[in-house]
Amino acid sequence: MITAQALYIGFFGLASVWFGIVVFRTFSMVRSALALLFSQTALGAMFLSMQAEFLGVLQIMMMATEMSIMAIFMVMFMMDPGGLGKMDMTHQKRLSLVAGIVSFVAAVAVAVFVDWGPVASVAPDAEQQVVDLGLELLGRSMLIFETAGITILTAMIAATAVAIPPVKRNPLKGTANHEH
Amino acid sequence: MTTAFLLLLLAVGAYLVAVIEAWTSSGRFRLAAPAFAALALLGRESIVPRKSDRVFFETAPVLLLISALLAAAVIPLTPDLIITDLATGALFINAALVYVLVALLMAGWGPNGAYAMVGGWRFLGQLIAYAMLIVMPITAVVMRAESLLTTQIVVSQAGLWNIVYQPLGFILFFVASMALAFLPPFDLTTAKGELAGGVEAEYSGARLAVFRLGRLVLIITLAAATVVFYLGGWQGPWLPPWAWSAIKILAVTATMLLAGRYMPRIRETDLLGWCWMLGIPLALLNILLVGVLVLVLP
Repeated sequence: MITAQALYIGFFGLASVWFGIVVFRTFSMVRSALALLFSQTALGAMFLSMQAEFLGVLQIMMMATEMSIMAIFMVMFMMDPGGLGKMDMTHQKRLSLVAGIVSFVAAVAVAVFVDWGPVASVAPDAEQQVVDLGLELLGRSMLIFETAGITILTAMIAATAVAIPPVKRNPLKGTANHEH
Repeated sequence: MTTAFLLLLLAVGAYLVAVIEAWTSSGRFRLAAPAFAALALLGRESIVPRKSDRVFFETAPVLLLISALLAAAVIPLTPDLIITDLATGALFINAALVYVLVALLMAGWGPNGAYAMVGGWRFLGQLIAYAMLIVMPITAVVMRAESLLTTQIVVSQAGLWNIVYQPLGFILFFVASMALAFLPPFDLTTAKGELAGGVEAEYSGARLAVFRLGRLVLIITLAAATVVFYLGGWQGPWLPPWAWSAIKILAVTATMLLAGRYMPRIRETDLLGWCWMLGIPLALLNILLVGVLVLVLP
């Protein structure tokens, strides 16, 4: 039986795939980045359709910032960010085709073959989900999240340190500011 | 029914914001001025620049308006006067308001103009400055309320408003929301007189009218969010709840608009520096203090 929920999930799933295709159909870097954003937003809407309210809202929130920042980096580092010169974005086609198919099969295999345990017949209400998620994050999942957080922070600090140009010392003047 | 009524209230609110903004900048209180300005805008030709990214150009003003409206949907004016009391309300406000950035990026990139593009990318830099100062003070508010429900957040302030309970968080949130609404002195993205309107520069006619309406709704929404998070929402003696909400929201709006008039526009590097080197440590301190207070106080 097709319910309204299934329809929504299907609609947003298709929207997500479509925007994913749009990413590679455009020559403009900003269009490409924002198409990826709307693909991710559609994923967030899928979470909402599946009654995972917190997860959905979080996905919709986080992706907007991340993809916008990605957009400016793509504009900075690509030769033709506006796409007016019709630069071809699709290179290494065979490799990406293989990589795409392999990861798709792997993801489907994980979804099908993993024992997910008993399926909840009714999703807990949204408020209870927030409570459950908080307890989960501060319980057995704490180590995973803290490790990920610290790793990202370290990478950020390292990247910033690498990006700062070295200070050139003038050998004649020395460090004038700190001399007595 | 509630939704239609609240949309009407938002429209009235946005109109009053326009009146107050003109009042603070020109010193003249003219109730009819925004109506004439809107009619003039709607009467003018809406020009589409050559070689523009048409999808972004058309979407940006509408997206700005929609994101402000979505954020307004979870803000209660009285215990019952709310469009939807989401279980993730306090988070949802953030999620909706992040799309202000997306709208301004589109408005910056879409028209294929130098001023607009500088304005659009500037707002991305501005987001990196203010974003944490929106989220982290809200975290402290949510810690006290022990709920993400916006109505619950108001109820949690029955004994003591959050402006007294966590004044540090209030100041940070207030300043950050002025930056979010690109109000002076944080109007880097429109920067009249320097960028010739920035992201607004290439818009005209009806599209500009929608863009400006979106900005006004954004301002009133942020003022309402400040009231809900820090000023006890609808609570207050003698007057009915809706009156308290209205008074507080208009007072916060006026303060936001007035404060910026007496400060020079801040440079983006300075804004980033202040926010990251002073703002974020203070926000962390605020979370720590509130955490201690929540545990110590009954």
